Amino acid sequence: MNCKELAYLLADYFDGSMDPRMRAELDGHMAMCEPCMNFAKTYRMTCRKASELRKCIEYKIPDEVRERLASFLVAATEKFPEQMEEYHLQVERERREKVLAFCRAAIEAKLSSMAALLVESHCANCRECKEYFDSVLKTRGLNGPHPEEIQEHVTRLMESLPPDEEFFLA
Amino acid sequence: MSAERWKEDEGLLERLRKGAPGAVDELLRQYQGKIFNLAMSILKNESDAEEAAQDVFMTVIRKVDTFKGNSAFYSWMYRICVNTCLMRLRGKRRNDTVAIEEFMPVFTEDGMHASPMDDWSKEVERKALNEELGMMIRKFTEELSEKYRVVFVLSDIEGLSNEETAKVLGMTVPAVKSRLHRARLYLREQLSRYLKEGKVE
Repeated sequence: MNCKELAYLLADYFDGSMDPRMRAELDGHMAMCEPCMNFAKTYRMTCRKASELRKCIEYKIPDEVRERLASFLVAATEKFPEQMEEYHLQVERERREKVLAFCRAAIEAKLSSMAALLVESHCANCRECKEYFDSVLKTRGLNGPHPEEIQEHVTRLMESLPPDEEFFLA
Repeated sequence: MSAERWKEDEGLLERLRKGAPGAVDELLRQYQGKIFNLAMSILKNESDAEEAAQDVFMTVIRKVDTFKGNSAFYSWMYRICVNTCLMRLRGKRRNDTVAIEEFMPVFTEDGMHASPMDDWSKEVERKALNEELGMMIRKFTEELSEKYRVVFVLSDIEGLSNEETAKVLGMTVPAVKSRLHRARLYLREQLSRYLKEGKVE
């Protein structure tokens, strides 16, 4: 082992992850080589002083920064519930639009075979939905918003489709 | 990290998730110093660090629901902080760092130390870290390019294990070790040169 090789092994030597045979090798070299011994000692002292820095810099944060940070966060978190509400409304709007599109596709017989099958089997067990779909199919038009219950059922139907699969025919 | 500390973090997390009054204050009290300092050591500028700290805490509060307990809370926060700071650095001019190669040890062709080596460890050890030496370490650290600086700050100054640093930075452990070693070699050399000039009594 030469001095250069030793210098690049010092991290392992000091963090205790080096195997004992290798360690003995390094110890042997250092016993004979003053520059390496000094290099190793100052390397270790450098690490030690850096970790001492952690204890004594003790995270000074200027008072005015501290105050601004607190008031910023308080203001931001107060606004946060409003933003969440806005987000929920947005999600709800999108859901309604999707249900509408689904029903339109049903009327125009443009549902994919999988979606059509889902509607059929659902309607066999659900009187409300069967009546609803029968009536819109008869009038061939959507009269106003869907009843809340239909919304829910259709949403669930759409959710049982595999993700990324469209409900209408290409 | 002690078990007690971990428990404290668990409690804080739970209160943050519920939006309990005072939870944000507590989060700030415990972590603003650490986060601000970490941001300072990456960004090296107080107003940038302040803005970064705002972003970090906003992100933490918003994403606290998505935090999974499989890593320590503080290491998750460090990760958010490092990412936020590195994003800020991107696109900024960064020519105020030194070339680390100039501070690597020099060897002869047959791998011997090319110059005599002083042992200043005893001289420095005797006294506790004084203000001047502490300031010099900070200054030298700041002059490192962030590639090395962030690893050095997290591992040697913040005291994270190599594994934790690797997790925070999304790097492999060997890559962390090699950067850390080079940063230490650099700092050792800087301190040697500085002490040789005899500025520390």
